[in-house]
Amino acid sequence: MKIIYLTIAAGVLVLTAWNLWTEKDWRKQATAAMVAVPLLLRVLLIK
Amino acid sequence: MQKHHISAVIISILMLAACVVAGVTFLEHRKVEPIVRGPGVTEIVKLSKWYPGLEGTAADTDVYIFKGEAPGGSMLVLGGTHPNEPSGFLSAVLLIENATMASGTLYVIPRANNSGFSHNDPQEGAPTGYHFTLSDGSTRFFRYGSRATNPIHQWPDPDVYVHAASGQTLSGNETRNLNRGYPGRTDGTLTEKACYGITQMILAEKIGLSVDLHEASPEYPVINAIVAHERAMPVASQVVLGLEFSDITIGLEPSPKNLRGLTHRELGDATDTLAVLMETANPSQGRLRGRTDEALALEGKDLYYIKAQQLGRLYVPFDEKGHSIEERVGRHLSALIEFAFAMSSEYPDQPIEINGIPAYDELQQAGLGAYLRPLQ
Repeated sequence: MKIIYLTIAAGVLVLTAWNLWTEKDWRKQATAAMVAVPLLLRVLLIK
Repeated sequence: MQKHHISAVIISILMLAACVVAGVTFLEHRKVEPIVRGPGVTEIVKLSKWYPGLEGTAADTDVYIFKGEAPGGSMLVLGGTHPNEPSGFLSAVLLIENATMASGTLYVIPRANNSGFSHNDPQEGAPTGYHFTLSDGSTRFFRYGSRATNPIHQWPDPDVYVHAASGQTLSGNETRNLNRGYPGRTDGTLTEKACYGITQMILAEKIGLSVDLHEASPEYPVINAIVAHERAMPVASQVVLGLEFSDITIGLEPSPKNLRGLTHRELGDATDTLAVLMETANPSQGRLRGRTDEALALEGKDLYYIKAQQLGRLYVPFDEKGHSIEERVGRHLSALIEFAFAMSSEYPDQPIEINGIPAYDELQQAGLGAYLRPLQ
C-alpha cells in the first residue's frame, strides 16, 4: 500500500511540475511550486 | 526561452531551496540524542531481541537493563510511548543515568515509540526540542517528538483504525498510536509490531510490573493519576497512599474494560504483569494553550490555562506557578519509588529496591539538569 501511495504522490508531483512549466501566469506557477514542496519531500521519504 | 519559462525556472529554484531548508530540518530531527549509561545499567539490548521482526526497522529501540546485586522481582518502565510528552521520556532518562538496583531487575525503554521521536506533529507549533543546563555548565538537548509513529515509516493511515484483537474502531490516525496497538501482532503495522515486541519481552522476562509514563493536557479528565489494570489495583492503591504521605496528590482510575489497545488494559490481559499507566499535567499538549515553545514545555506556565482554571474548566489545579518539568518528572519518579516499595511489600519474596533516583524535593530545588550526566 505504501508503494502505491508513493507512486500516486510521484505522479501528482510530475503533473504539478508540468503545470509549473507550462503555466503562463507566474502567480499560478508559484502556487504549483508550493504544492510541489510537500510532494517532493514525501516522495524522497523526508517528511 | 519564453518569458513564462524564465519565471518557471526562477520559481523552481526557489521551490528547491525551500525543499532543501525544510528537508535539512526534518532530517536533523532523526538524529538520536545520546543517553549516558549510568552506573546501574548492566546491559543495553534492542527490543528485537524479543521479536526479531523489528530488527533494522525504525521501531527497534534500546532496552536498558539494570540487574540488581540480589535477586528479586522485575519492573518495566516505558518512557516515550508518546514522544510529545516530555516527562515520560525524561523520567526514563533520569532512571538510566542515575538509578542502581539493590535487588530485582529493572527494564527501561526510554523511546518506546522510537519512530515517533523522528518527527513532530504538523500544525501544532511544537518546539523542535528543549535544553537543560547541567551542573558543569554544559547543555543537553532532547527533541520534542510526535504522539505517533512517523508516516515515513508507516503510511498511509486507514480512514478507520480497527484494533485487531477486539475489533474496536477508532479514528484512522490512531493506527500510528503505540498506546492503541497492544498486544500487537506480527502481521500488522510497524506500530503493532512494536507493541508485539514489548508484549513478548514482558512474557519472556516474566516482568512483574509494567509502568507506562505519560502526560496529558490539563483539561483532560484523567490527569495527575494512575490508571491501573484490576490485578494491579492493590499495589497501585498502596502507591497512592504512599504519595499522599509525601504530599503528592494523585488519583487512581480503574482501566476501562471496553477501551482496548492500551498498556493498562492489554498488557494486563495478555501477560501476568501488573499493568499501570501514569499521567502528569502538560499544558504544551493542551488545546487551550497560548504560545507553544520550549519554555511552555519546560516551565508549564500559561496565562490561558490560568483563565481556564478560574472558569472551572480544568481537572488539575493551575496557577501562575504552572507545572514545571521538574514537578512532572518528580511525580513520575516518586511514584516509581513507591511502586517498587509496594511490590516489595506485596511480594516480599521478590523485592525490588531501586536507589539513586532523585527525590521530588531535590528535583524542584536543584533542577532536572543537575541529574543529567555530561556527554563525554
